[in-house]
Amino acid sequence: MNRGVLWLLALLAAAVMPLLLSSYHVDLATRILIFAVLAMSIDVLAGFVGRTSLCHGAIFGVATYVVIWVMAKAGLPAVPAFLSGVVAATLVAALFGLLAVRTSGVYFLLLTVALGMVVWGICLRWTGVTGGENGLRGQDMRPALLLARENFYWLVLAVAALAAWAMQRFVNSPFGLSLRGIRDSESRMRALGYNVPLHLFIGFAVSGFFAGVAGALYAFFNEYVSPSSVAMGQSVAGLLMAIVGGIGTLFGSFIGAAAIILLENTVSWYTDRWQAVLGLVFILTMIFAPEGILGTVRRLAAPKGRAR
Amino acid sequence: MPAALTLTEVVVAFGALRAVDGVSLSIPAGERRAIIGPNGAGKTTLFQAITGMVQATSGRVVFEDADITALPPHQRARRGISRTFQITNLFPTLTVRQNLFLALRGLAPGKFNLFGMPKPSADEAARTEAALLAARLVGREDTEVRALSYGEQRQVELAVSIVNQPRMLLLDEPAAGLSPNERAMVAEVIRALPRDITVVLIEHDMDLVLGLVDQVTCLHEGRVLVEAPPSEIRGNPAVQEVYLGRARHAAG
Amino acid sequence: MTLHRRTLLGSTAALLAAPAYVPALAQTGPIKIGVMAPLTGVLAAGGREMVDGVTMFVEQAGKKMAGRDVELVVEDDGSNPDTSLQKARRLVEQAKVDFMMGNLLANTGLAVAGYVRGTGTPYFIPIIAADELTQRNRIPNVVRVAGYSASQMAHPLGDWAFKKGYKKIATIGQDYTFGHEQCAGFARVFSNAGGQVVRQFWHPLNTSDFSPYLGQLASLGVDAIFAMETGADATRFIQQYSSFGLKQRIPLLGAMNTTDQSVIRTLGAECEGIVSAAHFAEGSDVAATKAFVEEHVKRFNRIPSLYGFAMYSCTMWVAKALEKIGGRAEDRAALLAAVRSTELDNSPLGRPVKLDEFGNPVYDVYIRNTVRRPDGKYWNVPLETYPRVSQFWRYSPEEYMRQSPYSRENQYIRQG
Repeated sequence: MNRGVLWLLALLAAAVMPLLLSSYHVDLATRILIFAVLAMSIDVLAGFVGRTSLCHGAIFGVATYVVIWVMAKAGLPAVPAFLSGVVAATLVAALFGLLAVRTSGVYFLLLTVALGMVVWGICLRWTGVTGGENGLRGQDMRPALLLARENFYWLVLAVAALAAWAMQRFVNSPFGLSLRGIRDSESRMRALGYNVPLHLFIGFAVSGFFAGVAGALYAFFNEYVSPSSVAMGQSVAGLLMAIVGGIGTLFGSFIGAAAIILLENTVSWYTDRWQAVLGLVFILTMIFAPEGILGTVRRLAAPKGRAR
Repeated sequence: MPAALTLTEVVVAFGALRAVDGVSLSIPAGERRAIIGPNGAGKTTLFQAITGMVQATSGRVVFEDADITALPPHQRARRGISRTFQITNLFPTLTVRQNLFLALRGLAPGKFNLFGMPKPSADEAARTEAALLAARLVGREDTEVRALSYGEQRQVELAVSIVNQPRMLLLDEPAAGLSPNERAMVAEVIRALPRDITVVLIEHDMDLVLGLVDQVTCLHEGRVLVEAPPSEIRGNPAVQEVYLGRARHAAG
Repeated sequence: MTLHRRTLLGSTAALLAAPAYVPALAQTGPIKIGVMAPLTGVLAAGGREMVDGVTMFVEQAGKKMAGRDVELVVEDDGSNPDTSLQKARRLVEQAKVDFMMGNLLANTGLAVAGYVRGTGTPYFIPIIAADELTQRNRIPNVVRVAGYSASQMAHPLGDWAFKKGYKKIATIGQDYTFGHEQCAGFARVFSNAGGQVVRQFWHPLNTSDFSPYLGQLASLGVDAIFAMETGADATRFIQQYSSFGLKQRIPLLGAMNTTDQSVIRTLGAECEGIVSAAHFAEGSDVAATKAFVEEHVKRFNRIPSLYGFAMYSCTMWVAKALEKIGGRAEDRAALLAAVRSTELDNSPLGRPVKLDEFGNPVYDVYIRNTVRRPDGKYWNVPLETYPRVSQFWRYSPEEYMRQSPYSRENQYIRQG
């Protein structure tokens, strides 16, 4: 398994990285891993079901809100808080899934935008619980063992690797194959005896589960959450990372997240217009490497006549 | 012979247009039936009413003594009704084997396996091999469908429709758009299907049809015009009027 | 990495011409100051003025503080708390600044404050007015140098309004913490003095059409209206208040930000005669204020707003504190202690200012009126002065902080 060895090497490199980096860069790497999980969860839908979601930022943010809230306000310990964040995000995703499964294409996209806005509005307006504009702050959320940023990084790396492996298994499972069937031809899947809405619903919930894992990790990383964490921008950022990495490649999300976060971080040293630079990079990607970075690499590396 | 499929006064209306306008017919189990008729006669809509892709506006659809008029498509498929499409409607980015696998699992409980690898059971593997063999696709099973020729894609379509060993098979113009060689190949595949499958076939190519089926139903403007064995259909003046005459004319 | 676009480094020549006093050794390199302000988005103009205020002082001081070079690292907080948090991390952990100052919106300041609580980095917040940061939830290393708490100026205005003879007042404010706190400060003092707060209106940020509110305000039969607005909302409210015909009928009182120079700069006669309370009045004839305003106009061709003034004063304050400790900016405890004990006597206010024990300045507060200048521009001119106003008004700090903080629900309005 050539590709497996390659990823194992990458994992090993990622594991020794904090020993070589400054503390700030360890944080940056942690952020990249967390957002890669979000981007992968988006790719599960966009790449394997053909449904582009713009509400995964909101699902991610729900987990962040819930984790911080249950720790700061309800005094739950870290592990149950983490789990409740993931569960809450999955439930929200399931609810969204119920509404979204009967749509596709641009209608699906618009519906997810609207659902994301609802979450954002609630976080902004439900001041008593969410802190409104001021957001919620957690304090000393990480268990003692994870206080050192290297340790936290390794935990995030382990969770991200596990999530990546699980998502890879998921899209290649019989169920994942049926999602790809739905992407290719919904009517045929129905004729074959598949309950398409049910499949989409489960696919959406599973994808939301992983977005929730990322959001719950983010809570411990950031120890702060505000409506901007559930806003459109978050969803767009995640989608952008998936696209730059390569839609349908899953692991490309790691590359996409690294590319965008590092770029954002470097460019914003030099100019306030970094968002324009980011937009330009995105356009160039769309023109010259529409399959994303990993997609293009794979195409170039693949023997002739065998796509993907 | 008991009836596999009985339609009673089936109407499918799209607004003011009655695409199927009171069709009644009965197809005995194991029969091979062709449905012919000029374009717009309602053949494909009738198929859709049988598979449940559209709901009959009125009338009854009975399959093997069960009223399936109100059932959704996947439940009809579960009862053994399988169909192919006029326009190839496979999963282009999946391999032949994956296409067959999806077809198999569509009716199987294992489709909610979210985590395992897509490994077919021994029974599934046997059925897959049988379908590949019947559709003459051995050697092409790991190719993505989009990389196959059009004729081969029609063969995949047939393989997919028989892999579940359906009770009844609806074929919508299985040879449309194929070269004569490819058409002969498809006819061969259909002829070699097990005799216990009831086959209903929409086809324009009269020569192909008449050599394959036991009985022919000719539709015209959403109604049954004539029902007769193939030997009689060519001579039927009504059929010649609406269909054969024009078809021959066009062919000539 | 040290010399990037935004770095402002004292020249080598300046270093050679160092003053006679040379601080104790061990400090190599410049004092690094992280400055955060919204430089993109709708608040970019205010953010730009904040940075201008800092650079103005630093340049006036020869790019030096306590004899050491000064390096400013400016970051755009994007008016977004998450971005602010990221940028604060970068300033502290990568740029390794000695201390930070700035931020405009309360939520960005609160996000950064939560972060520096853990790192101990000194963080000075001349613009962030959230009451809590110098009251119940104060953080030792977060000091409101040259800033003010939201309700601090609203308290005396409530007192003044009652003494002015207004009996019935309605308030209208933006529906977020900054608005809730200012309206509560005004309503509490006014109603406790014996006035009646007839009704309170809350509208979302970025309201474009105020006519539903103005219609109701007009029909209440009140003696005056208190308006707590910022930025574009303030501009629109003042314009629509005038075009609705209310300006001639009901006197308008404003929070200090409602008539801040950043708002009335673009307005005409419709902003004339609005009374507000603030520690700074750009139209004051105090010599120090006049000199500051003139210098600011010369440099930037505009009359200073609160943003420029506050950041300028904050920088001046910290510079003075650094003098006291020989420029040891790295010594956080010493710096914080020096900042807390510094009494600033040469600020543009022209009067000495010092911090209360909770890290919020005590000011002589002006009741101001917006007045037309000979050149047609408008500015705030003092009417009278409330001396030594603390963030707790005339309440005892202990009692004040035992009560729950001001919020939309807790407006402390005394009935009857």
